Amino acid sequence: MIAAFFAWAPLALNAALPAPASHGGGTVAVRAGTIHLVESGSTLENGTILVRDGHIEAVGEGLSVPPGMRVVDYGSDAVIVPGFVAADSSYGSRAASARTAEPGLLAVDGFDPYTTYAWALSSGVTSAYIAPARGRLIAGQGAVVKLAGAVDNGRVVNARAALHGAISDEARRTPGYWEPPVPATVDVGLGVAQPQLPKTVTGAIVALRELLELARGGEGEDEYGPYAGPALMEVLRRGTPWRLGAQSEAEVRALIEFAPELKQPLVIDGALGAGDFAAELAAAGIDVIVDAPIRPNRSPRDFGKEQDAVWPRYDVAARMAAAGVRFAIATPDSVSVRDLLFAARSASRGGLAPHDALRAITLSPAEMLGVADRVGSLEPTKDADFVVMNGHPLSGGASVLATWVEGELVWDRESQASASSGASHTPTSVVIDVDSLHLGDGNVLSPGQVLLQDGHIVQVGSSVAVPPGARVVRGAAAMPGMIDALGHLGLEGSKKVPSTDFKMSRIIEPGDFADRRVAKSGVTTVALSPRGASKKGAPILAYKPAGQSLDSQIVDEPAALRFQWTQRDRRQSGNDVRAVLKKTVEYDKAWKAYEEALAKWTPPAPKPAEDKEDEEDEDEDEKDSDDGKKDDKKKKKKKKKKDIPAKPVTGAWVAFVSTDEIEESRMRLYVHDDDGEVAGSLRCAALTDGLIDIEGMRDERKVTLTGYGTRGEVSIEADVEDPEDDDEPRLLKGTVTVAGQSIEFEAEQTSTEYVIAKRPERRRPEPVKEEKVKGAPKKPRVDKSLEPMRHALEGKLAVLVAVERKDEILACVDAFEAAGIQPVLVGASDAHKVKDQLVGRVAGVLLSHQIVRTDVRTGTQWTNRYAELAGAGIPVAFHSAAEEGAAELPMVAAYAVSQGMSAAGAVKALTADAAKILAIEDRVGTIASGLDGDVLLLDGDPFDPATSVVRVWVNGEEVR
Amino acid sequence: MQFKHTLRPLTACATLVASVVLLTSSAEAADKIAIKAGRILTQAGTEIENGVIVIENGRIQAVGQDVEIPWDAEVVDASELVAFPGFVEAHASRGMDRSNESVDVTPFLNVRDSIDPVNFYFEDALRSGITTINVQQGANTVIGAQGLVVKPYGMTIEEMLVRPDAGLKIAARPKGGKSRATQAQALRRTFGDLKRYLDGLVQDKKDGNDKARREALYQGRDLDSEEAKGTRPLTSSAVWTVEGLEAIPRGEIDEKQEPLLKLVEGRIPAWIHCQQPLDVELALEIASDNGFLHRTTLVLEAACFKAADRIAERGVPVVLLPSLIHRERDPITGEEIETFVPSVYEEKGIPYAFASAGSSAEALWFQAAFAVGQGLDRAAALNAVTTTPADMLRLGDRVGSLEPGKDGNVVLFSGDPLSITSFVEYVVLEGELVYDRSKDVRQQHLIEGVRPSNTAAATDEGQGDDGHGHK
Repeated sequence: MIAAFFAWAPLALNAALPAPASHGGGTVAVRAGTIHLVESGSTLENGTILVRDGHIEAVGEGLSVPPGMRVVDYGSDAVIVPGFVAADSSYGSRAASARTAEPGLLAVDGFDPYTTYAWALSSGVTSAYIAPARGRLIAGQGAVVKLAGAVDNGRVVNARAALHGAISDEARRTPGYWEPPVPATVDVGLGVAQPQLPKTVTGAIVALRELLELARGGEGEDEYGPYAGPALMEVLRRGTPWRLGAQSEAEVRALIEFAPELKQPLVIDGALGAGDFAAELAAAGIDVIVDAPIRPNRSPRDFGKEQDAVWPRYDVAARMAAAGVRFAIATPDSVSVRDLLFAARSASRGGLAPHDALRAITLSPAEMLGVADRVGSLEPTKDADFVVMNGHPLSGGASVLATWVEGELVWDRESQASASSGASHTPTSVVIDVDSLHLGDGNVLSPGQVLLQDGHIVQVGSSVAVPPGARVVRGAAAMPGMIDALGHLGLEGSKKVPSTDFKMSRIIEPGDFADRRVAKSGVTTVALSPRGASKKGAPILAYKPAGQSLDSQIVDEPAALRFQWTQRDRRQSGNDVRAVLKKTVEYDKAWKAYEEALAKWTPPAPKPAEDKEDEEDEDEDEKDSDDGKKDDKKKKKKKKKKDIPAKPVTGAWVAFVSTDEIEESRMRLYVHDDDGEVAGSLRCAALTDGLIDIEGMRDERKVTLTGYGTRGEVSIEADVEDPEDDDEPRLLKGTVTVAGQSIEFEAEQTSTEYVIAKRPERRRPEPVKEEKVKGAPKKPRVDKSLEPMRHALEGKLAVLVAVERKDEILACVDAFEAAGIQPVLVGASDAHKVKDQLVGRVAGVLLSHQIVRTDVRTGTQWTNRYAELAGAGIPVAFHSAAEEGAAELPMVAAYAVSQGMSAAGAVKALTADAAKILAIEDRVGTIASGLDGDVLLLDGDPFDPATSVVRVWVNGEEVR
Repeated sequence: MQFKHTLRPLTACATLVASVVLLTSSAEAADKIAIKAGRILTQAGTEIENGVIVIENGRIQAVGQDVEIPWDAEVVDASELVAFPGFVEAHASRGMDRSNESVDVTPFLNVRDSIDPVNFYFEDALRSGITTINVQQGANTVIGAQGLVVKPYGMTIEEMLVRPDAGLKIAARPKGGKSRATQAQALRRTFGDLKRYLDGLVQDKKDGNDKARREALYQGRDLDSEEAKGTRPLTSSAVWTVEGLEAIPRGEIDEKQEPLLKLVEGRIPAWIHCQQPLDVELALEIASDNGFLHRTTLVLEAACFKAADRIAERGVPVVLLPSLIHRERDPITGEEIETFVPSVYEEKGIPYAFASAGSSAEALWFQAAFAVGQGLDRAAALNAVTTTPADMLRLGDRVGSLEPGKDGNVVLFSGDPLSITSFVEYVVLEGELVYDRSKDVRQQHLIEGVRPSNTAAATDEGQGDDGHGHK
């Protein structure tokens, strides 16, 4: 009988196996800076993977891409590794199977190939082992499945990857079950639970021996049921590995001793206690799946107090590697495969080398589970399953950028990010990792890292956080984006000088090609000034030529004002500026006086609202203080108020009206009386269809209301009558007119409440009038042309003054000092001659482009004016005074350096000092957290002749 | 409109079973009846204006415009109504006292023992124009009971019966308490056990052990009839065979295994319920491994459309359970994806029938109308509730269309059958009037809120204290 069953069994079982792979798969060439092949342990630099029909056709450096093949290039920073193979996952069943040994239970039956396992794919896991069940000596047969790809083969890689079982605690603690008595009677109780085999390690080994006996045609059907034997025979025939869970040393040792009897491939699963037996395991050729002792997102345990909480060991994998045992690293079955990478990283705590850890989550599990012919490494003919990361997978913080299965992109961070925009927006982040990071203020971090996120610098340090999906860019050096302290980029040749309140932002627009070229040269911020200045000064806008939108382009507006001190007629020099300064000081004084007076003045306290009438009177007082006409009326009103209740019309009114068409139609009026302004709604079938809005006035007792209904205007004129008896309702008597027909009515008040949800105001809100309070200080008039200068006095706005000779310079500085402003000198040919008198009195100097001034007398002696001023402690900045010429600023600075200025000083002059001079240091100029993400990546030290700007980020976005 | 002949027994009945619309058959049904309908939707390719349907001895004799009305036929003037063949319910788990059994494998059970002829369901079926129903056990099973095809009218199962042996209900989705893997294992084991049982039987016969025969005699099973004498060898399309099975007399085969053997022999159909697309895989595997794929119909929930390619490959017809719309959210993009399921099957060329849900609010007319609303071709939607299910039940020669030779089942609608404003006015089953809306007190109560004058409040069982109809 068994023989007959055996003859039949394979037929049914074969059908469960996947049909021969006939899936299409993608055809593509994928490139990245680093490709880890895993198989041979080799790594490619700038390699290419050629994929045809879902399989790897070739992989190597310098491969030529066949014509017509799509190319996806992830760039030089990206790292490609094979798709991870999870040696265990939570996708299988976690329930215990019905019997101690259920070798016929197939995990693949429970696998849903129609689901998108986005969670696993997002962490690079492309293949996973699924368990048939848990908590049994022999739980069934586990399978290896793909978590994405074509479903026509059920995404099954190996339907019988292992006979899954355990001798560890989990299998020995299976609760017993009750068999209900049949037939049940009142006399027969439920009975005691049937004990479940086995309870001890010894018992488990004995049971395994019995099962092996059964599998080889021996006895045991009574104990293990009629199905276990044939299924186990099949397992032996196929040579399926036995994957048995063992945690403690005792369990591991028991399995090592059982292995020779088994004569089958054995994989020890869990293996927390395997470390001491590494040599024996290697000798016996036993594979090990190391469960990483991690519990992500859960609170730590109290070791020694909680049941089954043992001290974690992180060195098991490292010891296996040292002894030459083939091992895989897996997540415990209670942990999502999403944390597989973290599990592998945790093994490096125990001393495991990164390439061994990578193998333990790719090729090793693939080999153990019999799927190495399809997955686990990047070799020709294998499935094109790979993961694109932003760093070596075992380095902390590296994360997955994209996941490919069978040559198809199945997950990528960008589509995920765009999908989740809104609720949980993941900003694109960039980490710039350089050997020397020039912060701009003279400090250098070596090494240094900057994290750009959401357009800003988020973190600066020698090591910063790497958010998931962040692009990590490596280079030699980085510095803040340079600033052209005075340029004309964007003027398009215009020579007009606008007034000080003109918005320069009106003439710029994003997306200009020349602007991007300037930015690519390293100049990310330009102080845009008109050519020349009027008497009252000219506005200067600080903006970013490569900004993506107008909002992100503007840094500060106006950032500065520009004046002209030196005049052609030298006698006139400085007169205009002096006039402006004088006015400014007066203007400012007026405001200061006002603010001071306002601070001292105590507004009259409003009287406490004891009585409603009183409060009203107070209002009237204020409103009509100069309006004597209304006074009489007010008095009248006051008198009458004793007779008329405060809001006599408020509430609901009901009357019956008859028209020619409709008799006895109920009219319902629901209104609110707000001090004589009456508004509400009316419903009356005789007058109009539906509910209409109605509004009007109440003058003492006379009420007039109008509204528009389906039959035209509805108007009501009526008088309020108080009842004689307080119990009686108030009455509203009058006429209602519709379509030329007047109907008399008498409405009864059924309610004095008007409670409806507050409606949005339909009328345009009245402009808020500034409250004029008696005795309050009077505000000075606002002078738009002088407003910027007030900001200059507060130090929020830079004042640029073009001035040449030293006497003019000194006069200019004196004038500004008197006004309380530190000017920025522009041109200032003689500034180096009076540098000692300028220290601490000017905000900075923008020297002309004549960096080196030759001594007229000798013709050979020269001075570097920049170096001289900078050395004296006067901030200097470079400026282009040109449009696209701003791109040459780095060369100007390089020349200054070559002529004796320190490189650090040049960096400072181009970045931090320029920002300070323009009072925009809160946005740009240094690399500091919170500032705009304007960073330059250099291939060497700044202003070294061999150095050039390699890449540029503006507002966290790379300029391309 | 006159239905005088049949109205008399109707009123008698109505007083007997007050408020129940099911009408007992009249002593002698009209031998010949001619229905003059304003419009006849034959479902046989033609639509006839002002036509006549002649039914004789329960069968349709003629349908057409120029049909001669026999002189002795009773003429029914339904010139304002639309005649329709009646909806065919390919699969329903209603009308039974309970639809599920707690034991896993029960091929020996039969819904015959569970169908309740006075269940409201059958009354509701008539009201919605359903004239043929395949009653199958519920889906919470491994191998369920054998089903029956019935008409929704009659006081006994025998009266209702259209066809016995309507097949076995099998669930590919897990029964409560099982995982998908254990459900698959249980299904495979059931057929493994059958094979082992038959092998054992053959072996016993060879060994001269007649235990099976003695047991059959003890149970009083039929061992002498033609049917009980021979068992055919398993040759047809079975993947596995049992050598020497033909030596076993049919009567000696255990009653518990016999229905499964019939299934493997392809003599009865299988109705396999699938909830998720992966269940389809298991259903197809079980059916093809045991040789009854050609007699298999899949009963599918909405998500199964994803496995349509596999179904099309195997050429298996399907019954689509409500809802006909599948919605899911793409886990990567977060985009909501809505699929109108029948169009997928239509595109792949898979024969499909609609089914009513557990509630009559989603009766067949609604499913078809909904499908038309979703853009399905009207003819395709009508086929999915008439001819296609009729073919699935192998009743294509009897129901599903109005053609000569077929059962005299006619539903007279007040308008288009798929219109929400149409009512079923009359139902004629095998030439006999079994439903008359003017006598449908439940519907009148529901729609008009008035208790019919000929019913007394005291006898109004099951309606509760709902005197508001009078007020």
